[in-house]
Amino acid sequence: MYRLPRILILFFAAFFAAAPAAALSETIAIIVNRDNPQKALSRDEIRRIYTNSVLEWSDGTPVAIYDLSVDDPVREVFSGRVLRKAPSKVAQEWAHLKITNQAKNPPTAVKSESIIIRRIAREKGAIGYVSLSSVEGNPEVRIVNTIQ
Amino acid sequence: MRRFLIGAILALTAVLPGIALAEDQTRIDRLEQELRDLKQENQEIKKRLDGVAAESEETRDSFGRISSFVNISGYADAEFYLTDNDSDNAHFRVRHLSLFFIKDIQKEWRLFSEIEYEDAPLVESEHTTDDPDTVQGKLLVEQMYIEYHPELDWNVRAGRFITPAGLWNIYHYPPYVPTQTRPLMVRRIFPQVSDGVQLMYSFTAGESVVDTHLYVANGAGNPGRLDRNEEKAWGARAHLQQGSHGLGASVYREIDNVDILRNAFGLHYLWDFSPFRFQTEYQYRQNSPDTGSDFIDRGFYAQLTYDIGKWTLAARYDWYDPNGSQPQADIFRYTGAVNYHFAYNVVGKAEYNRNVFEDSTEDYNEVILAIVVAIGDL
Repeated sequence: MYRLPRILILFFAAFFAAAPAAALSETIAIIVNRDNPQKALSRDEIRRIYTNSVLEWSDGTPVAIYDLSVDDPVREVFSGRVLRKAPSKVAQEWAHLKITNQAKNPPTAVKSESIIIRRIAREKGAIGYVSLSSVEGNPEVRIVNTIQ
Repeated sequence: MRRFLIGAILALTAVLPGIALAEDQTRIDRLEQELRDLKQENQEIKKRLDGVAAESEETRDSFGRISSFVNISGYADAEFYLTDNDSDNAHFRVRHLSLFFIKDIQKEWRLFSEIEYEDAPLVESEHTTDDPDTVQGKLLVEQMYIEYHPELDWNVRAGRFITPAGLWNIYHYPPYVPTQTRPLMVRRIFPQVSDGVQLMYSFTAGESVVDTHLYVANGAGNPGRLDRNEEKAWGARAHLQQGSHGLGASVYREIDNVDILRNAFGLHYLWDFSPFRFQTEYQYRQNSPDTGSDFIDRGFYAQLTYDIGKWTLAARYDWYDPNGSQPQADIFRYTGAVNYHFAYNVVGKAEYNRNVFEDSTEDYNEVILAIVVAIGDL
């Protein structure tokens, strides 16, 4: 009679055990091109950009969004703290929007932080996130927020 | 002499370990320095490799932008279906192989097509009739349109597109929805696809984003080049997204091939509060035949999902009334599903459906076990 609730408890315990946990302790920097009109961005503004609620900057330049790979620890922290979802969930949602051709301005996923820095240094409308230590002192990009 | 020897031995015993220790220390210092140098060298190599990888990816990206490649993606799924419905039996089903071909022709022009191969039918040139032994599935051009998108916030599409209505009709692809069965009313009140022209425009209103679609099409039941009447269908959809809440409405109007004026309306609501996601839709259609009485068909569903780690749990309530003037025609369905995401593009599903009719002797249960994959780097 009491076996079913016990099985259910074990079942849910297994679910919680499978839940992902953020592992990175390094500070993350949200960066834009040095010519970007935005001096600082709040987390909510960044989330709105990364969910396509904002498509262009205040001077009319189209936003170009950069992401790291789904399994990158920096993305895991960014995704959890800013988008409040696991990277795999965000990737699924973008995939669904792309497969239905409903994505207005999907992010471009690249393999390394140095590529993000290069692209942002080159593209006026670009935004991305990297570990703070990889971008500190770089005059070609501007840090608009940091995430601990 | 003896005393001298003893003294010398004692002195050596005292000094030699010191010399040995000093040598050891020097060796350790040297090793530590070597280790530091190696670490630095390693970091420099890593940096250089990263730079090479970045350059390689940049080159690939530049090449990709200027190349004439067609982006191919899609999905595929296979099922095992089990039921106690007398008119059906347990079976394996090779359900979908759907391929998307996307070609960015110019910066502002794109070709989008979806070729769906459902139930893997055997199609041979000598068996082009409806011979049930050979043709049991469908090979369908589900979407094919040319898109013009000069800005991120608007585009025009001409060709065949998924009818923009509600939520499920647009966002229904198996790798990304929790169930293999769709809600009962979906595709019955609003058509699955439309052949025509569609305008999408998106704008912000304060903190909210509004997506709108407006389209003119041949109408349901007119796939391909055959439009069997002069009338054209038109429809519209609006969706307002405010934070985690989404609210919208859809309309569709047509006079079909048997002169029935059909006016369909839909409302939808979405609450995405991770890890929970709730979505519900209500659709209603007024059918007015040229001769005879009007009748309505309508439906509703509410679905709640919960994500935990690699698992998704889902529950859905479904109702569809195909004819409001016939009180015994309603169908109800209660669905429970568990998904396991092996990866973000590979999912295993277990689904249970309880189908309930006004005449309880018709009730039946279904269990569907499925494996679904999304193809390509989406």
